[in-house]
Amino acid sequence: MSKKSTHINNDTYLAKWLANEITDPQLKKLVTEEDFMAYKKLQRGISLYENLENVNEDAYAELKTKIAAKKKATIRTLYYKWAISVAAVAILFITLTTTLFSKTTVSKTTGYGQNNTIALLDGSEVILNAKSEISYREKQWKANREIFLKGEAFFKVTKGSTFTVRTKNGSVTVLGTQFNVKSVSDYFEVICYAGKVKVTTANHKEYILHPSEGFRKINGNPLENLNENSPKPNWLSDETSYKSVPLKYVLKDIENQFDVVFDTNSVDVNALFTGSFTHIDQEIALKTVLNAMELDYKIQTNKHIVLSKK
Amino acid sequence: MPENIKNVCEEKVFKTLYLKYANELKQFLYFKFGDLATAEDFVQDAYISLWNNCQKIVVGKAKNYLFTVVNNAFINAKKHQQIVYKHQEKVKKIARHSTGETPEYLLQEKEFYEKLKNAIDNLKDKQKEVFLLSRIEKLTYKKIAEKLNISVKVVEKRMHNALVILREKIGNV
Repeated sequence: MSKKSTHINNDTYLAKWLANEITDPQLKKLVTEEDFMAYKKLQRGISLYENLENVNEDAYAELKTKIAAKKKATIRTLYYKWAISVAAVAILFITLTTTLFSKTTVSKTTGYGQNNTIALLDGSEVILNAKSEISYREKQWKANREIFLKGEAFFKVTKGSTFTVRTKNGSVTVLGTQFNVKSVSDYFEVICYAGKVKVTTANHKEYILHPSEGFRKINGNPLENLNENSPKPNWLSDETSYKSVPLKYVLKDIENQFDVVFDTNSVDVNALFTGSFTHIDQEIALKTVLNAMELDYKIQTNKHIVLSKK
Repeated sequence: MPENIKNVCEEKVFKTLYLKYANELKQFLYFKFGDLATAEDFVQDAYISLWNNCQKIVVGKAKNYLFTVVNNAFINAKKHQQIVYKHQEKVKKIARHSTGETPEYLLQEKEFYEKLKNAIDNLKDKQKEVFLLSRIEKLTYKKIAEKLNISVKVVEKRMHNALVILREKIGNV
C-alpha cells in the first residue's frame, strides 16, 4: 500500500484531461506512451461506465412517463397511487391525442399461445387468435363499425350497419354474419361461415363470399378459392390446419402459439404444407408438421429451434 | 404475505425492482449486443412489459421474467441483424469484423469492464465520492467543490489520484 501511495501526488492534470480542459496531445507530453494508451483505454471504459451504471431516480421517472403514454387506453386499471402520480402526464397526453385525432382508440392484443374473446359495444363478438391485435375507435363506433386487425380473428357480427374489418392486405365488409380473417405479414385469408361478406383487397379488387366459401392471397400470387366445410374455424378448437400453404406461414403460426423462434437457414420455407397442428402440445405439434415436411429439429436453449433436412 | 410471492403492481415494489436490476440487465445486453441505445430500449421495454403483466408476476419471479424478456428481444434482434447482414453481403462484401463488435471483442470488453467496475468500487471513499459526482451525477468540479465545501483544487487532486489508481489496477493495454 505504501508503495502505491508514492504515485499519489499533487498533480491535477488527469482530472483536467478527463474534463476536457486539457487535450490529448498535452497529456501525451506529461505521461509515458504506455501510460497514455492506458489512460485512453480508461477514458473509454469510464464513458461506458457512465452509460451502464446510470440507473437512478431520473431514469425511473423517464420509464414511468413511457408507461403512462403506452397505457392510455386502459389507464383505469392502473394502481390508484400510481395513477395520481402520473395524472398530470396522462391528462396532457390524452388532451394531445384527442385534439390531434379527436377519437379514442381502443386496442386489444393477445400474446404467444393466447386466445381472447372480446365483446364489442353492439353485442358483436371477436375471438382473437394468438399474437394478434385489433383496435377500433370507441367514440365513432355507433356511426362507423370499423375494426383494424393484425393477425387472425373470428367475427360474429350482430345485424346492424355495415361492419368493416381493415387489414394491411385488404378489408372485409359485412352486414351481419360469421367470418374469419387472417392477415399475417403478406398472407391474407378470409372465410365466410354465415351470411355474406364483401372483401376488398389492397389493390381495390372486390369479391363477394357466400357461406362455406373463402379465398386466400399469398404475397403477389393470384387469388385461390377455398372451400370450408366446418361450421367454425378449427383454431377455435385448438388446432390449425392448412391446405398447400408455404411452410414459412405455418412456422410463423407455430411461433405465435408456442413462443418459439425457428432458425430456417438450411431449409426451403416455400415448400407447401398440407395438414394441421395442435395448440395443446408443443412436441406433438412440431412432430406432425416437421415430420410431414421431412425435416429434423433441434431445440436449443431459449426456445430457439434449428431446422435441418433429414 | 411473504415478500417474494407478492405481485409487482405496487409502485414501491416495481421501483425497487427497477433500481435493483436495470443496470445489470443493461450490462447483460450491452456485452451481448455491443449497442448501448438498443440495450437501453430493450431494458425499458422489459420493464414496461413487467408493469403490464404485474398481476401475473410475483416478486420472486420478476428477475427471471426480466432476463427472459430481454434475452428473447436480443435473440429476435440478432436474427433480424443476420438477415440484414446477408443482404449487405450480397450487395457488397462487407467484412463483418469491420463493425468491431464480434463476440470475442465484446467478451474482452466485458472482462475489462468488470475489472474497471471493481476498481471503482474499491476506490477510497473520498475519491469515489468525487468520481461518482463527476461522472454519474455529471457535476462540474466547481459544483462538487461547493457541494462538499472544499476547494476546486482538492476536488481535482482527488479525481487525479482516483485516475492514477484506476490506471494501476487495470494494468497495461
